[in-house]
Amino acid sequence: MHISEGVLSAPVLVTGAALAAAGISVGLKKMDPEKIPQVAVLSSAFFVASLIHVPIGPSSVHLILNGINGLLLGWLCFPSILVALALQAILFQFGGITVLGINTVNMALPGVICYYLFSRLVTHERKVISLASGFACGFLAVFLSAILVALSLVWAEGSFTEAAELIVVAHLPVMIIEGLITLFCVAFLKRVKPELLGGRHEKRAW
Amino acid sequence: MKNVHGSVIVIAIFLGTLVSMSATALAHKVNIFAWVEGDRVFTESKFSGGKKAKGAQVLVFDKEGQQLLEGKTDSKGSFSFRIPKLTDLRIVLNAGTGHRAEWTITESEIRQAWYQEETQEVAPPRQVSGNLGLGKEEIQELIDESLERRLRPIVNMLVDLQAKGPSMTEVICGIGYIMGLMGVALYFLSRRKKEGGNDHD
Repeated sequence: MHISEGVLSAPVLVTGAALAAAGISVGLKKMDPEKIPQVAVLSSAFFVASLIHVPIGPSSVHLILNGINGLLLGWLCFPSILVALALQAILFQFGGITVLGINTVNMALPGVICYYLFSRLVTHERKVISLASGFACGFLAVFLSAILVALSLVWAEGSFTEAAELIVVAHLPVMIIEGLITLFCVAFLKRVKPELLGGRHEKRAW
Repeated sequence: MKNVHGSVIVIAIFLGTLVSMSATALAHKVNIFAWVEGDRVFTESKFSGGKKAKGAQVLVFDKEGQQLLEGKTDSKGSFSFRIPKLTDLRIVLNAGTGHRAEWTITESEIRQAWYQEETQEVAPPRQVSGNLGLGKEEIQELIDESLERRLRPIVNMLVDLQAKGPSMTEVICGIGYIMGLMGVALYFLSRRKKEGGNDHD
């Protein structure tokens, strides 16, 4: 879902960069030394996930992992995803440097939204609720990213509904797979390291 | 606690599948590759990893950014056109949903291809032509044909090289960078902490 260089017009790029800068500054303010290794690991996961191609469906799609990034990191997923996208742009030529801002927003904002929606629910004592919200988190993050990508393409490609439909349909398999991945992560972390999931109840760093 | 083992195994299987899927590393970028043959330009478009970009829009611009022509790739991801003008040709592939790639053919490249044709035409008739009972043009055609046949695999190889996905080196390199950044971040935060601590002393 990386938007390539040269597709978008300058106002969209600037807006994207400004929004990304805002998100990143919020993320950096919340950066806690103890969180840094976790940010790095999830950033690496996001970086590598783009290589895992999902061979189902009409178009070329890959895993994104922005749901689990958002769920575990909250606003910190902005810096995490920015670093991963920058490296993907430099090393893999996915996306690009000028579109870095808008791509970061498109991937990280859904993560933050999912964090606010689900971080309480995944710690719910009823297993069904916590697992279902894990799935919903992974699913919804990709869905929202698809919508945001379609929105950013409106000025380049005209019809929003057409682009949105195309991207959402192409990413349906990814949504389901990411839902399952997030579900497994939630199930696993709940047993092994439940404090990682308690994002919202954690004390603020400073 | 049986469930713990269950989920660990499931995750292990899942990660295993993911890794094996990534072994055939298909990825997310679109490429266009173009070359001149005679008075035509041939292009091939692929997503990195080898999936062909079918029915994608191809736009051709000249040096000044004026659009010269427009076309669509066929089911093999290829598209060819007659060179409309002797200029730098900027070929833009628009594969939809934000996927875009560019390839530039310089004027000198086109000149070279044309120049070769011209010199071949003005070249003095060879003696063999008489001996074999073949006209110059027929020989030319035969040579072109066999060259095309021989060069085809090489051109295909070049196209594949263009569309090659990221290598393991780049993946490891990226992860290394992230770990390095983590180190830098931790270093600065630990220094800040220390300075804060000294203030209290």
